[in-house]
Amino acid sequence: MSAHESSWTLRRLHAGELPTQEAHRVREHAEACEACGATLRSFVDAQAAFEAEVPFEGFEAGVERARARQAAREPAARAQWARPLMAVAASVLVLVLARPLLESGGRADPVPPPGTGNRIKGGAGAELRIGGGVDPQRVANTDAPEALQPGERVRLGYTADAYRFVAALSVDAQGEVTPLYPESGDSLAVEPGAGQHWLPESVEFTGAGTERVVLVLTDAPVSMDALSDTARKAFTAAGRDVTRMAPLDVPGAQTQWILLKP
Amino acid sequence: MTGPTPLALKVVPSRSNEDRRAVLRELYVKYGGSVRERCRYLLKDASRAEDAMHDVFARVIVHGDSFREEASPLTWLMKIATHHCLNQLRSEGAAWKKWFARDEAARSEGHGGAEAMETRDLVRKLLARVDAETQAAAIHYHVDGMTLEEVAAVLGRSVPTVRKRLEHFAELGGEELSVR
Repeated sequence: MSAHESSWTLRRLHAGELPTQEAHRVREHAEACEACGATLRSFVDAQAAFEAEVPFEGFEAGVERARARQAAREPAARAQWARPLMAVAASVLVLVLARPLLESGGRADPVPPPGTGNRIKGGAGAELRIGGGVDPQRVANTDAPEALQPGERVRLGYTADAYRFVAALSVDAQGEVTPLYPESGDSLAVEPGAGQHWLPESVEFTGAGTERVVLVLTDAPVSMDALSDTARKAFTAAGRDVTRMAPLDVPGAQTQWILLKP
Repeated sequence: MTGPTPLALKVVPSRSNEDRRAVLRELYVKYGGSVRERCRYLLKDASRAEDAMHDVFARVIVHGDSFREEASPLTWLMKIATHHCLNQLRSEGAAWKKWFARDEAARSEGHGGAEAMETRDLVRKLLARVDAETQAAAIHYHVDGMTLEEVAAVLGRSVPTVRKRLEHFAELGGEELSVR
């Protein structure tokens, strides 16, 4: 056995990572051993120098900038595989909703071209509009992640057709679910009248990273707690990758968008 | 008037802002000095080292879940920092030569007296002559002072494999880099 502790062990002691008993033993050794004591002190000195030269606020700002840079690079890398996945999600939606129309001999709307609002049942549809930033307002794609610019906000619209209730929530990259409309209780009754209705207010997503927005139209009210649970399950089932979530397991129709926060 | 009517603003706060700040502060206090030291040792440029350090901690924030599951966050961070800096040097391609040129001017940020300083300098000078895995093994073994078992665990290789790589590395540097 070496007479000295390894510098790695001493570094782990300094970081507070050693189990209590081992920490006690190594600390005692370092107090008695000149070489190990010097090494341990050098770690303390290095950390002190670091803190003196790089204040926490500067460190935090630097990390946030790095995180933003990494997030900006991520969409390009992900877009290549995210597209087919989104296409799968969309085709599930079409299959589920097209069948009743075919059975009843009803009119089926043409499959919407990418980049438009998403029509999901007869005259039903949903739209996510982005605005409030420097760029002109635009409608978010449902088949590819949509990058948000700083300050941009989101507004959700729907055309209910035969559906009677509407709800929306979002899921971030960590799997945190935020009920948006409504924030609690049961889903909202749709506005009377044909045509598109806008959910009140606009929404700004702060922070950075990916956010999935889900709008659900249903025939019966849905509890937001239950809907949130369903979203969490979908997130877990997707391997905790928010970009790979399948449609939520709820009856009715739904539209999903992926937003890339600035 | 065109477009939607002016909209009242509803802010959905980032749920983890405060959590993230607390995590960052803990990382800063516990590991900031070590990670910066590793980045400076490899990149030999204070400004680039600071950027690299920020990149490493940003990865912790992005991959928070897997980081929290690590038995030794220090090991994870030093592995990521080493990998990140070596990748950066490698991506510069021909810059290896420049990197050598800087070697004479730069002093390492190491510890452990003159002998350890010399070993660290020697390791750094030899890195460009071996493959990526041997580079990482040599740094973790000779600079971090990990045991063979610890290096093997970090690299996900067997101890004999790591020993073989380090012995090859030692052939380039002589007795000072022998593997015990």
